[in-house]
Amino acid sequence: MRILVVDDSSTMRRIIINTLNKLGYKECHEAANGREGVERLATIQVDMVITDWNMPEMSGIEFIKAVRGNEATKHLPVLMVTTNAAQDDIVQALHAGVNNYVVKPFTPDTIKDKIEAALKPA
Amino acid sequence: MSIPEQLLTQLISATEEVFERMVFVPVTVGTVDGHVSAGPHRHVVATVAFAGHRNGFVSFHSSIDTANEIAGAMLGIPHDSVNGEMPDAMGELANMIAGSLRTRMAAFEPAWTITCPSVTIGSDFSTRYPSEVSEARVPFTMNGRTVEVEIILSKR
Ligand SMILES: [Mg+2]
Repeated sequence: MRILVVDDSSTMRRIIINTLNKLGYKECHEAANGREGVERLATIQVDMVITDWNMPEMSGIEFIKAVRGNEATKHLPVLMVTTNAAQDDIVQALHAGVNNYVVKPFTPDTIKDKIEAALKPA
Repeated sequence: MSIPEQLLTQLISATEEVFERMVFVPVTVGTVDGHVSAGPHRHVVATVAFAGHRNGFVSFHSSIDTANEIAGAMLGIPHDSVNGEMPDAMGELANMIAGSLRTRMAAFEPAWTITCPSVTIGSDFSTRYPSEVSEARVPFTMNGRTVEVEIILSKR
């Protein structure tokens, strides 16, 4: 399974990718913000997207709207990994089209469960 | 005006959780001081500001050695091979502590807006605040080293 990890913090991308590798997801790609994420999705095929919310240039919410607005990517499972976990944040993210939500700081078990849930057909 | 007890309690829990889950090293909280001036060994300061229902910021303070140790632990690499990654790691650490505090407080009051982190690294600087703020510094021990989490609240 190929996963695109979008986060402006290189540290957080590394933590997420280390976690994914340990869970057996070995093919991971990276982008540093939503705009780069859109560019990556135009050139590579992935099976899932994991994105941060707060990023410069294009936020996670705008990025998800772009993913959902594109015929080629609109069906991709999207997991949001963010510290923004107030009730209103979650509502806003669900509206934008996320399939599942992981709150930072997370545990590997949470990432595993949320990925598996996001991959299940609705 | 002092820092509300609830804010301090949530700040301590948020910091402990971030270290346990993302640094993979537990921290032990020390005695909370009303005001402590920055000592000579606190060379890295990572700050995230917040505004809205409350205005102020959260800063993480440590020595450069300890910051490299934390960055290495987050990245899963030996601390002596940490190089340019440390500022990003400290920024993300502050972002998670402040973000987690924001989420915790949103259960009791309107959610704040938080800023991108900024990181200051140096050996001869101190920070001064206008008189209209309250401050608390919470020391934590991590592998025998002291780090501090500071919260500043503005009256405005
Ligand atoms: Mg971010």
